[in-house]
Parts: sequence; structure tokens; C-alpha cells
Amino acid sequence: MMRLRFPAGFLLFALIASAFATAKETRATVVYDDVSTDIASANEEADQIWITTTDLKQATRFEVKPQGVCRDVLCFPLPKARHNEFLRKEGAKSWFNLTAFAALVHQPVAHDAGTSAWYFGLRSDQRQGLSSLQAPDFTLPDINGKMHSLSDFRGKKVLLLTWASW
Amino acid sequence: MPGWQVIYQQLKDKNFEILSVAQDTGGVKDAGKWITDAHPTYTVLIDEKHLVSKLYNMVNVPTGVWIDEKGRIVRPNEVAFADDRYKQFTGLDSAPYLNAIKDWAEKGEQSQFAMSEDKLREKMAVNDPNILVASAEFGLGEYLYKSGHATEAIPHFKEAQRLNPKSWNYKRQAYALGDAKRDYGTTFVEEVNKAGGSKVYYPPPDLPGENAQKDKKP
Repeated sequence: MMRLRFPAGFLLFALIASAFATAKETRATVVYDDVSTDIASANEEADQIWITTTDLKQATRFEVKPQGVCRDVLCFPLPKARHNEFLRKEGAKSWFNLTAFAALVHQPVAHDAGTSAWYFGLRSDQRQGLSSLQAPDFTLPDINGKMHSLSDFRGKKVLLLTWASW
Repeated sequence: MPGWQVIYQQLKDKNFEILSVAQDTGGVKDAGKWITDAHPTYTVLIDEKHLVSKLYNMVNVPTGVWIDEKGRIVRPNEVAFADDRYKQFTGLDSAPYLNAIKDWAEKGEQSQFAMSEDKLREKMAVNDPNILVASAEFGLGEYLYKSGHATEAIPHFKEAQRLNPKSWNYKRQAYALGDAKRDYGTTFVEEVNKAGGSKVYYPPPDLPGENAQKDKKP
């Protein structure tokens, strides 16, 4: 009798691949840094969203590089042993799990199933200001659309005030 | 806003600036009139995404934060009124806070109102991970509302309110975008009363001398 033997790794891969194949391929909206991007083809599985690495760059400006997931000088290395949780190759397409990445960088995620909208909040690197007692910087428009940053006022004492019309 | 203009006139020559940021999902449409009516000479910005509240963990308006010449926080979030126009509701006298601002503008880090690092850390500690998730739910609600899904936004605004019940911003902004009674089964006044009244809604600033005096029994 002939027995087919597969290495355990292959079986695991086959399991993951088949689970992935049953995922719902759908349109989705990713809101990242408060900018929304329509994703023509995303894979949603329960509370996870996978997008192609091309869409990743467009929606978040992050790119997958050998040293990690990077944007400008910012780089988050992916844990080697957990590579499959973040990246999958499927034919010519490379898929990236944006929700797993959010968990890695301690970023809160909110999801609306009905509209396939995914909101990604502040990453840990964007929240470090408070623990260092450094006032987090921001850039916002005035009523004429001219942009101003808190850091424009460096060298002066600033009374930062919030208010609202409501 | 006219109140802050008076303070600004008094202090602007002391290396002092006011940066005032409107937390309004409706942006210029909702906040603009207040600015054009008051035409202040200090800087006023429009923050449709409530980014400043998110970055600084603010839960109410008006909130003030003092930031020194090096960009470091020297007094964190606290209620900041320029005058006594809402005193009947708030029970707060604006004078002690305004005097503290003047003292700081004059003396900088030597001011007794500039907090120590230990006190700042204690006041600014965020120990509840739900607060972070709440900010994402609120952000999603805002996005849905603005993209024509006002009904779909409501459960996310509710979730933000549930996860961070201390945020009045999450409640009041959501109420203003819809109908508090119809969408949330409550009103602003009911919520303030439920929380314990205006003293909880606007905890008085923690100023040296001030609270000790108030606590003293005659």
C-alpha cells in the first residue's frame, strides 16, 4: 500500500489556504489616519481584513519591506515566527492582514459589517507624546483653509483650548 | 470667544499664544459662524475629526491645556472658561483659572500653577484600554455619518459612549448630529443629572489653594 506523506508544514499551509479561499471577497472601505480609501477587492474573515499590498500602500502609505512594514522613517518589524498571520501570497497577489498589523502596533479598530467600513485609530507611535509629557503635534485648517501646526508656536507659551458649536 | 480675546490682548506680549480648536464634525458649517461673529485675533482652527480630543484624551469642551516654550505639557486637560456666562449651570467662577493663566504667562515654569512631572503623569495616565477602542468607534461613526450613513453611525456612536462613558464629547456631538431622544433614548440634561450634576460634568480646575479653601468648613 502506498502512503502519501506530507510534511506537517505543508498540511498547515493547506489548511490556511483553504480557510482563506472560503473568505468573502468584497468591496470595503478603509479609514486610516482619518483618510478613507475604497478597496475594490478585500478579503474579510470575521473580524479580520486582508488587502493587497498595493492597496496597503494606497490606503496607509505603509509598504512591506524586508526589514518590516515601513512608511518614511517609521518601520515595524513583523515577528518572523508569525509571518503567515500578516502576509499571504496567492498567485500574483500579495495579501496583507491589516487587522493583525493593527494589533501588532496597538492600534484600535472599529468595523461596520453592513457597509464593510473599517476604521483604524491612533497607533502606539502616535500616542507616545503623552507618556513623554510632550504635547502631541497636530496640523489643522483655520476658517480660510490655511493650515497651522501646534509646532509652529514652539518658543511660546501656548494655551490650547477646545470648544464646539453644539 | 470674546472672553478669550480679552485675555489674549492682555497677555500676547508675554510670549503667550492662544490656539483654539473647534471640535465639530460639521466643520466650518457649524463652527464658522462663531468665528466670523467674534473675529478673534488669536488662532482658531477647525477640527472635524476631533483629532485634538483624541490625541489629548479630552472628554469635554471647553478644555484647556498649557504647553510651554519647548512643547511640553505643564497643565493637562481641565475645564477652561474665559468668563462667567455659564456660571449658573457650571457653578464655576472663572477668575481663579484666569489668574493662574496670567501668573503662568508672567512667570513661566516658575509659576506655582505649572505642574510637577509626577503630578502630570498621575493626571494623564490612561489605564483603560476601552478608551482607545471608544475613539475608533467614534471615528467610525463620524465617517459613516459623513458618508451618508447616518443610521449606521448610531450603533458606533453608542458603542463609543458605552466604552468611554466619561466622554461628554461623544454624547453631545452624536446628539447634535441626530435626535438625542429618538436615537439614544436620552437627553443631555438627563445624562448630566444621571452622572451627578454639573460638578461632575465640569470638575473644577485643580489649582493650588483653591480646592483646599472650598473644602474648609466654616
